Amino acid sequence: MKNNNNKIEKKLRREAFSKNWKLFKQSRLGMVGLYIVFFFFILTILQPILFITGFWNEAVYHPVVGYDDLTSDFIVVDCPKEYPTEKYQSRTDCPARNEVNIKTLFYNTAEVGDTIELNLQPAPPSRRHILGTDSLGRDVFSQIMEGSQVAFLLGILSATLGVGISTLLGTIAAFYGGRIDAYLMRQSDLVLMLPTLPLLFIISAFAELKIWHLAVVLGTIGGLGGSVITIKSQALQVKVKPFVDSARITGGSNMKILFSHVLPNVAPLALLFMVFSVTGAIASESVLSFLGLLNIEMSWGLMIYLAQVEGFIFSGMKYWWLILPAGLSVTFLTGGFYLVGRGLDEVFNPRLRKR
Amino acid sequence: MYRYIFRRTYQLIIVFFLFLVTSYLLFDAIPGNAFQNLLLNPDLPPDAYEQVLALYGLDKPLSERVFSYVVNFFKGDFGYSYKYYPKTPIELIAERLPRTLMLFAMVNIISFYTGFLIGKILAWRRGSKSETWITITSVFSYTVFYPWFALMMLWYFGYKMDWLPIGKFLYPEKWYDSPYDSDVIFVLMIKFTVIVSIIQVLIYVFTKNIESLSLKRNVRFIGFLLNIVGSYFFWNTGDALLKKTYAGDIAYHMILPVLTVTVVAFAGTALLTRTTMMEVLKDDYILTARAKGLSQRRIRDRHAARNALLPVVTSFIFTIVTIIDGSVLTETIFSWPGMGQLILDSVLNEDIPVAMATFSFIGVFALIAHFVADISYAYLDPRIRIQSQG
Repeated sequence: MKNNNNKIEKKLRREAFSKNWKLFKQSRLGMVGLYIVFFFFILTILQPILFITGFWNEAVYHPVVGYDDLTSDFIVVDCPKEYPTEKYQSRTDCPARNEVNIKTLFYNTAEVGDTIELNLQPAPPSRRHILGTDSLGRDVFSQIMEGSQVAFLLGILSATLGVGISTLLGTIAAFYGGRIDAYLMRQSDLVLMLPTLPLLFIISAFAELKIWHLAVVLGTIGGLGGSVITIKSQALQVKVKPFVDSARITGGSNMKILFSHVLPNVAPLALLFMVFSVTGAIASESVLSFLGLLNIEMSWGLMIYLAQVEGFIFSGMKYWWLILPAGLSVTFLTGGFYLVGRGLDEVFNPRLRKR
Repeated sequence: MYRYIFRRTYQLIIVFFLFLVTSYLLFDAIPGNAFQNLLLNPDLPPDAYEQVLALYGLDKPLSERVFSYVVNFFKGDFGYSYKYYPKTPIELIAERLPRTLMLFAMVNIISFYTGFLIGKILAWRRGSKSETWITITSVFSYTVFYPWFALMMLWYFGYKMDWLPIGKFLYPEKWYDSPYDSDVIFVLMIKFTVIVSIIQVLIYVFTKNIESLSLKRNVRFIGFLLNIVGSYFFWNTGDALLKKTYAGDIAYHMILPVLTVTVVAFAGTALLTRTTMMEVLKDDYILTARAKGLSQRRIRDRHAARNALLPVVTSFIFTIVTIIDGSVLTETIFSWPGMGQLILDSVLNEDIPVAMATFSFIGVFALIAHFVADISYAYLDPRIRIQSQG
């Protein structure tokens, strides 16, 4: 008998999944989002594979300590003081590619017009380095892969933690009401009152933030804050449904009702929240790295931070491989998760569907 | 109902008290203090550091400091800033707050208005090709990595094209022989903006009940033109004529931050409006309106969009609460000397009185907003009222 029940349950679950998958596939943008997330996921697992199979040498391609000794021939020029001249339009055009300013050459006896061999850093994209190297000779494509590992780990960990906390607290607040409800709501008021970014600055000042710590901090702040209120309002709607009453009449304990009747009905909303809070966590990590406050060795935010500190941002598109890949990766991965969340929204909320 | 309000008020006071204590403990947990650089100066006598600490009361034990801070806070005494010594935190906030409010009020009004219009059209044209493209653009600007995007905007408009200034509040060289303080000019600009927008809102309210849509649009357009002509005359007569160049300088510096934040912020409203409007379009009264044979525009603007407005307005209120929090990043990137920079500066320098004052300011702001929202929900939704009496 029990075995049979299990079988039926499994079958029902499979049917519900395939139905929901069909609904999800109808939203084109949701599928685009899923493809984007899948693309970054491939990048995430590709890097260790490349290292293990020996396709990439770790001494050259390591995102943090790798170094590639690329050299190239440069023509020594003397940059003029006044612009525009015949050759150069503005100050940023000199030295042009394959040229080097004589004033920046130290310990060198070259004359203007000579051709000398120098280290090429940052190196433009080539077959050896798909996205070029940064100013320390590290491979940018490998850094992007490392950054996507950080983003996935942090986003999914903190979103799971945060949504777990807020779902549990939200349902408990809705289910028991009274003092527990008042306490939990005021607690989330307190968390909402603290300004997020300054709070993270303070925490980063007295605690050494690595990926795991940051995931826990972001998850806790997100989980205790506004999402508790939203999930509570959803759980309040579930609580007044007839099946909760009938479960109580048949003698279900509070715990049983909470975990097997109320929680599963709040779960779709919680899943939705989770997908959207992955977006928030990735963005927060990038902002903190961008401000140089984290103890993470490599991430997308850190790449933009380095590009900004070293002055490549205002050099325009001359060094595009230092500026565009990192910024676009953050944008596309968060956008991908957002689109997946929107697709899921259409699955769970029938009023948003086309028909 | 009154019992509910009373209970909420008393909980609110407890939460605020806890908030003050928590923030003080957080600031205290940062290693070091604001005067530690005195230890590095070899010219000072060795006991100078201890004397300064004693002067500011920082040598006392933590519990005593927290207690005296909270007591003084409720007396209305916020102490003096450590970094800008003779100034009090209140003076600093009074100087910085208008700049942040002006910038972000402008951004929010523009972005909510355009976002609402775009979202309305998106929901209405569901399934068309233009909808897909606008949605992709909005999702891109909604999820774009903000600091990166702001830097790219700075690079393009400020450096490559050289149309707009790179950050800052004004050009100091233009103000050397200025007879006016920049704050005086700025307050005048705020007053001007507020009056112009009030007139605009009044025009909107008075034309609300005109039946014919085209007549309504024409009347509103004429009102808008009159407003522009009126402001032109204002800036070219009397006292304002002398202040015009200085006000223009500040306004010129405002363009790029406003533009950047608007591009990022409008998309959230557009996507939210699209979702709520699509829910509304499923309702029966839309079908009734169609059956009555009303024109498409009328159904869209009068029947659907009005009802989709409610959640958008709610989110607008909550956005206003997060203005100061959200301004930290923008003001850092654009070097706009507002509240966000003040918070960041005071937190990083451990200027505890200023940091506490700014934090509690934000806290009071947020608490009142949440309180009002809660009360109005309880008023609108009987279920919550009954729940909370138990």
